[in-house]
Amino acid sequence: MTQVERSAEVEAETSKSMQKAGDRLRDDTWWYGPVAISLFLVAWEACVRFGNVPEIFLPRPSLVVVTLYELFAYKQLAYDLMLTLYRIFGGFVLAAVVGIGLGLLMGMSRRIYAVCDIFIAAIYPVPKIALLPLLVIWLGTGNIFQIALSALGCIFPILINTIIGVRQCDEGLILAARDLGATPMQIQRKVVLPAAVPAIFGGLRLALGISIILVVAAEMQTARYGLGAKLQLAGQVLETGQVFAILLLLAIMGIALTKAQDRIGSVVDRWRAK
Amino acid sequence: MQFDSISVEGLSHRFLSRNRSPTVALSDVSIQFPAGKVTSIVGPSGCGKSTLLLIMRGLVEATDGKVRFLYGNGSGTAISGAPPRMATVWQSFNLLPWRTVIDNVAFGLELQGMATEERRERALSAIKAVELGGFEQHYPGQLSGGMKQRVGLARGIVMSPDILFLDEPFGALDAQTRLYLQEQLSELVERSAKTVILITHSIEEAIFLGDRVVVMTARPGRVAATLDIDLPRPRSFDVQKQKAFGELFSEIYGLLRDEVRKSMLS
Repeated sequence: MTQVERSAEVEAETSKSMQKAGDRLRDDTWWYGPVAISLFLVAWEACVRFGNVPEIFLPRPSLVVVTLYELFAYKQLAYDLMLTLYRIFGGFVLAAVVGIGLGLLMGMSRRIYAVCDIFIAAIYPVPKIALLPLLVIWLGTGNIFQIALSALGCIFPILINTIIGVRQCDEGLILAARDLGATPMQIQRKVVLPAAVPAIFGGLRLALGISIILVVAAEMQTARYGLGAKLQLAGQVLETGQVFAILLLLAIMGIALTKAQDRIGSVVDRWRAK
Repeated sequence: MQFDSISVEGLSHRFLSRNRSPTVALSDVSIQFPAGKVTSIVGPSGCGKSTLLLIMRGLVEATDGKVRFLYGNGSGTAISGAPPRMATVWQSFNLLPWRTVIDNVAFGLELQGMATEERRERALSAIKAVELGGFEQHYPGQLSGGMKQRVGLARGIVMSPDILFLDEPFGALDAQTRLYLQEQLSELVERSAKTVILITHSIEEAIFLGDRVVVMTARPGRVAATLDIDLPRPRSFDVQKQKAFGELFSEIYGLLRDEVRKSMLS
């Protein structure tokens, strides 16, 4: 074994043990969150039970869970959940396709950027919920309207992050690819696009959160079905238990989506791991 | 017809700097780079030596002058032709961070459309040649600087280039790693008898690796002198202790000293 091989091996060992230490660091604290939330729920339950808080004002967590079960069992809440998810992801996917495509073009071509930039500057700062009346006039209050609204909200973070990702591509990597004989097309596909992936993924994360907010808000205003609609309805008839149940469902949905994104993100970014 | 030399003729390069004032990077540079030799280009920082490399490599277009690739048949005059195969090793490595070592090394072959199996095989043997066996599936972020540059070197030699450009290849590495890699490169170069053009700001490196050393002036970059290095090959680190080495060093440093001062003042 030569000196280099030996030192290389030592280096590899070091990086492996550092990785293990990193894993342990993460594993050490995994239960903090669940325990904290459990304690919080127990405290809540105890306060309501022993503090004589009226149920119409603040229901017990255990009652909220039971109500949520009843909503699924007798009130077809699953249908509302599916409908809401369909609207959220419909708009999100549409925005992702258009946003990433347009973002790549804008990042790569100064001319296309110059044309589109003025439109983006004009539309981006408008609160998307302010477009609600116009979209209702154009599209009615059905799924197409919901999806359009969500897509409008989602497209900007995706588009802007994609442009930034493309522009931030290291000049040196492009030079190296040209040196190895890459065609302009190959440079875009094999260098610029993969280099932009982390930024694009950051945009997608932001966008999904925005989509959830917009769809639920729009459902509360206009829809008859969907989680937002059911939430609004329950509030109007002072069914506080149902209000909490739907909020709980929204929270669970949020956690599930965030965790799923983390998973996908760690696969996409696996080369960043030391 | 055999590749005979690169002929750089009356090359000048100007560009607009950030404050829109024109900067002259190179001024009337003419150099011959004979095939099968290692030519080192040494000069103060900012003398345009990296720009010269980019122009020769065809990655930047010069304002004036031309670069010709000459081919000969052993006798008579050489005629200019299409550029031969070339590859570059960069100071900042420029490895694609999302690709593993083997996929980085095979990148150029992949761009050419070579079949997966064949490029894998070639990449593996290039990785062996730079003593990185066992690290094929690592990402660049998991490697040290010296290892990264060996990946860069493997990525270049796997293309079996006629000309290998080295742009301050060891500039970003620590002193010991640099010494070791210089020796390794010297061996590799002697074995392959390739045409190598080495850009460096280290006089020792220029002499140690070179058959010829081109000394450049501070901006605007011009050729100050060309020296032949007649030290015997194969060279090991010990060559630096020889008297001839010291004399060459003094001569080159003498040429550079004023230029370095000028580049610091400007």
